[in-house]
Amino acid sequence: MSVKEMEKIMLEKFPDSPLNRDETGLTGAAWSVAVPISGIRDAAKAFQTGGFFLESITALDFEDTFELVYHFNCYEPKSRLVVRMLCGHDQVPPSICDIFRGAGWLEREVHDFFGIRFSGNPDMRALLLPEDADYYPLRKTFGKVGAYHKREEIYG
Amino acid sequence: MEKKVREPGEPVVQFALLDDILNLARANSLWPMTFGLACCAIEMMAAGASRFDLDRIGAGVFRPSPRQSDVMIVAGTIAKKMAPAIQMLWDQMPNPKWCIAMGNCAISGGPFEYEEQYAIVPGAHLIVPVDIVIPGCPPRPEALIQGLLALEDKITRGEGRNLLRRFKRVVEA
Amino acid sequence: MAEQDRTQVSHRIYSLNLGPQHPSTHGVLRILLDLDGEYIVKADPVIGYGHRGHEKMGENRQYKQFLPNTSRLDYLSGMIFNHGFVLAVEKLVGLEVPERAKYIRVIASELNRISSHLLWFGTYVMDLGGFTPFLYAFDDREQILDILDSVSGSRLTYSYCRFGGVTSDIDTKFMDMTRAFLKRMEKRWADYDSLVTKNIIFIHRTRNVGVIDKELALQYGVTGPNLRACGVAFDVRRSEPYEVYDSFDFEVPTGSQGDALDRYYVRFKEMQQSCRIIDQALDHLPAGDFLAKKVPQKLSPPKGDVYTAFESARGLSAYYLVSDGSPGPYRCHIRVPSFGNLNVLNEVLPGTLVADAISILGSIDVVIPEIDR
Repeated sequence: MSVKEMEKIMLEKFPDSPLNRDETGLTGAAWSVAVPISGIRDAAKAFQTGGFFLESITALDFEDTFELVYHFNCYEPKSRLVVRMLCGHDQVPPSICDIFRGAGWLEREVHDFFGIRFSGNPDMRALLLPEDADYYPLRKTFGKVGAYHKREEIYG
Repeated sequence: MEKKVREPGEPVVQFALLDDILNLARANSLWPMTFGLACCAIEMMAAGASRFDLDRIGAGVFRPSPRQSDVMIVAGTIAKKMAPAIQMLWDQMPNPKWCIAMGNCAISGGPFEYEEQYAIVPGAHLIVPVDIVIPGCPPRPEALIQGLLALEDKITRGEGRNLLRRFKRVVEA
Repeated sequence: MAEQDRTQVSHRIYSLNLGPQHPSTHGVLRILLDLDGEYIVKADPVIGYGHRGHEKMGENRQYKQFLPNTSRLDYLSGMIFNHGFVLAVEKLVGLEVPERAKYIRVIASELNRISSHLLWFGTYVMDLGGFTPFLYAFDDREQILDILDSVSGSRLTYSYCRFGGVTSDIDTKFMDMTRAFLKRMEKRWADYDSLVTKNIIFIHRTRNVGVIDKELALQYGVTGPNLRACGVAFDVRRSEPYEVYDSFDFEVPTGSQGDALDRYYVRFKEMQQSCRIIDQALDHLPAGDFLAKKVPQKLSPPKGDVYTAFESARGLSAYYLVSDGSPGPYRCHIRVPSFGNLNVLNEVLPGTLVADAISILGSIDVVIPEIDR
């Protein structure tokens, strides 16, 4: 499925969240869409039926919230698309590891580094840290930190 | 008869010739254990390969099993998750055994050590007793060969006593 | 009781630890295998034995201080990762790079790609039991390391690419050495062909072993030669051309079945295509600067994120930098191809023999410190 078709599907599913088009090419994607926590599974299913693969899942730590960023890509040229999801410090987002089997490890890594639990992922053991680690290194409240911002300071 | 002064580190009971022969044999047939953790492992492999042949100095036989090896070359960064494994492998090696810390990461944490680094053990000497250190990031294969020759000299207790030493030092006449 | 035990034997699962220290030097990988006789029932890779905290370090460093880290992520394609990071920061800041520097960076990256594939080739056949190609491959690799050493000063972990260009210019000695290397490799392909590719034992150990089909690759995000062996011609150098890759004429080799033999063929042909790219780049190398003139000492990038993808020797890699306006990133995430490539083993290994597991593990070409970051 092409980028334009995915655009239509996303606008249908999430009419309240406008697409953030990227004209500059900095984000490497044509557009990014912000979905609520409950909507990530629908979005992931749409991408999976569209023939996209999950490139990476990462998280950003801000003072007021976490933000999960999902990058999807397909084998056509210049088809990267981004799904962003705000997730509070104590919220538990749903897992997409039954839609994309590769998401299991990616979610484990995010849990390792940030402490975000994903509901529905059967295997939440430590992936990169030692098994008995009880710290979440990439949080801005751990270790040596350069800066800790609120989300609007960066994204406006 | 003048009293001979004992050098520090020299054992009290010396078997002289037998000891020397055994040490000479041990030094010139060091069998390393394949213990590449990170980037330095590639330089260790390159040292064992065709251009910088380690077989010339007797150390080309890399044994995967610690039970069959003499020297453990810790090549690479030691992550905290890996540290118990290093301890276990060192304990499994039979005596006489030696350890070489290869690369900056194994000496002191290397480029990854900064205050409040949470993930690595800054130096192999914190886990196992290290005999020779080879600095570099990564050290060239020639440096690894120099380190192995230094270990040989340490085993035979003197460069002059290492009769089978490859690369004798050139002395200005 | 003994009678019962003997009949239960074939149903008893034996747990074997393919431990963090093992002879096929891919780094420190541990796979917990559940075996039924010689067949693998369940495979669970355990990683993290090489975790060094690159992403946390990225947040505590300025962009230029993070340069040494980039080479040490995937040390076999250190130049390519270095190149990718420099591309990401240049995109963020909006720095113009002179044409000559772009060509030099492409030549260095392609040389690095060949050296990475040569090392993979040598160690893979060594894993399968043949020691000789390892020595030949390393000999060829030493030629490349000499070339890159003469211009950057380092054999393995380079910080040759800088923001705005490269550290030092290439001279005629570099170009002569590279051309001599390309000429030497033209004869070597036939040597490797007769030594390894046509070897009946090698073919038997790799044909139909570790088949990754397109659907599995899509589920796990497999990229690089592993994906191209399934038949999908996806290469970042073609789909999102960066630097001057769109001006070169090269093919993207693909396989058909997705087994280990196809992955071998794809990497072999990729080395030949890289030689073609280097040849064309040397022919069209423009004169000019090797570093942009006005590169500020202290970068002040705009706020926002940047995501730059590039093709490393193992597949699609990317840097995701979130900038808050300061000279260092707020978040530095690295997407590595070996993550998905290793993840696939959860489904590919069950049902295979232990000996085939070594062949499969070697053929997917993982570098563990890249996964562990």
